[in-house]
Amino acid sequence: MLKINDLHYAYGKIQALNGIDLELEEGEIHAVIGANGAGKSTLMNCIAGQLRPQSGEILLDGEKLPGAPHLVVSKGVVLVPEGRQIFHNLTVEENLLMGGYTVKDRAPGVRKAFEMFPRLEERRRQRAGTLSGGEQQMLAIARGLMSNPKILLLDEPSLGLAPLIVNDVMRIIQQINSEGVTVLLVEQNARKALSIARTASVMEQGRVVKTGPAADISKDESVISNYLGKSKSKKSSGEQIVP
Amino acid sequence: MFLQQLINGISVGSVYALLAVGYALIYSLLNFTNFAHAITVTIAAFGCYWFQALITPNLPASLLAGILVAIVMGIFIELFAYRPLLVKKARRLYLMIVGLGVSILCENLMIIVFTGRVRVYPEGFPTDSINIFGASVGLIDLIILVVSVLALVCVELYIEKTRTGLAIRSSAFNLEATALMGVNTNRLILTVFIIAGLLAGIAGTLLGAKYTTYTSLGTYMTNKAFIAAVVGGLGSLPGAVLGALLLGITESFVSAYISTSFRDLFAYIILIVMLLIRPSGLMGKADGDKA
Repeated sequence: MLKINDLHYAYGKIQALNGIDLELEEGEIHAVIGANGAGKSTLMNCIAGQLRPQSGEILLDGEKLPGAPHLVVSKGVVLVPEGRQIFHNLTVEENLLMGGYTVKDRAPGVRKAFEMFPRLEERRRQRAGTLSGGEQQMLAIARGLMSNPKILLLDEPSLGLAPLIVNDVMRIIQQINSEGVTVLLVEQNARKALSIARTASVMEQGRVVKTGPAADISKDESVISNYLGKSKSKKSSGEQIVP
Repeated sequence: MFLQQLINGISVGSVYALLAVGYALIYSLLNFTNFAHAITVTIAAFGCYWFQALITPNLPASLLAGILVAIVMGIFIELFAYRPLLVKKARRLYLMIVGLGVSILCENLMIIVFTGRVRVYPEGFPTDSINIFGASVGLIDLIILVVSVLALVCVELYIEKTRTGLAIRSSAFNLEATALMGVNTNRLILTVFIIAGLLAGIAGTLLGAKYTTYTSLGTYMTNKAFIAAVVGGLGSLPGAVLGALLLGITESFVSAYISTSFRDLFAYIILIVMLLIRPSGLMGKADGDKA
């Protein structure tokens, strides 16, 4: 469905993407794992049209994806960016309305979002900046779904969240996927990402070094030692310790 | 005397508000001060004057013509002065410098073309005064007040109630994330310049009618409006209106009770005091790369 060929991107002299090849099949969850600075977010920003790659191509159903964010959205590819980037100055409901900017009638989308996330409905008139981290992530995902995307790009959705909330987020991603949305999931929390993905890729220094079914990737020796850690309990506690 | 000066001050303040909101709108999206704003004001007054002098001395038509000229000027400034820099993601400081350059260049071009001579609209507003609770208030001041308030209310409604208005508000928080929502941010920025141009046009044509038309009209007035916007907190629309009214009323009272020659001095004193006490202004935001 989405096919990336030999993608290169450099920030000035620093090469962030060094010939990325990636394929996303319709209906799947594809996880991209890798260390900090491997180029995962750069890849996402290139797909979303925020960054213009120096070379290579991004194809959606065989057609070149346009190079501007608003045009990418109109093709049904939506990025839920790293750090959520919800609009703190707007209410929860207004954030959802912004997500549906390209949709004519936004009321059904808002209703669906509130069905999926009852917590957001309770806080619909509240400023989004007052939400907790987990709620903000839910809002960011709900906002991304407002334009009825075919492909949802999720950049580090578990970042900075408590383990229990991370589980919620993963469950929601699965639910969204089961409703027919193809998901490209970038995560540092490799264990969680691999547990819900069908296929996965491993990125190192701007390159995809491994790709295949998630089950195989999570059994790979080097992936286990580099990204999953030896003891299961140690890594699965995520990035942040909860008080 | 008091009431008269108060109404006078609010009237002047409402014109400052038109201009200050223009500054604030652009600042809220792009985090830089559009110093080319001045020229849109001047060119509106000249557009109005020349329309009357050359085509027809019909006042409403000439006001509309002047406003239209200002909008076109705003579009030109955005497309040819700022957009090339925005596309390159230039530092905000460079945008501000380009704006200053555009303003100085255009003002001097206008002096060359039109000379520094002061002009009076062939057909102006009535100069009558009316009596409100014993205060004698110029009809023109009331007209200016009503038109300015109406314009500001329309802009406020547009920003609060429409889809594009919501996008303007979201991009004031985060322009890049707004693009991810499917908003064509280039078009949104242009829209904001059109609104700012419209407000500058209204201010310029009204000022030309109240005072006279001269090449530094815009610079003089936008300096005041800029003070108002900074006092109110750059980037905040309610702040801009508040600062503008505060400035207008202060000026009016200083002129009446102290001396007209102290009027401008007080404007700058307010600015300096505000910057010393609260640099972000009454209702401003403070972060990031700004100019």
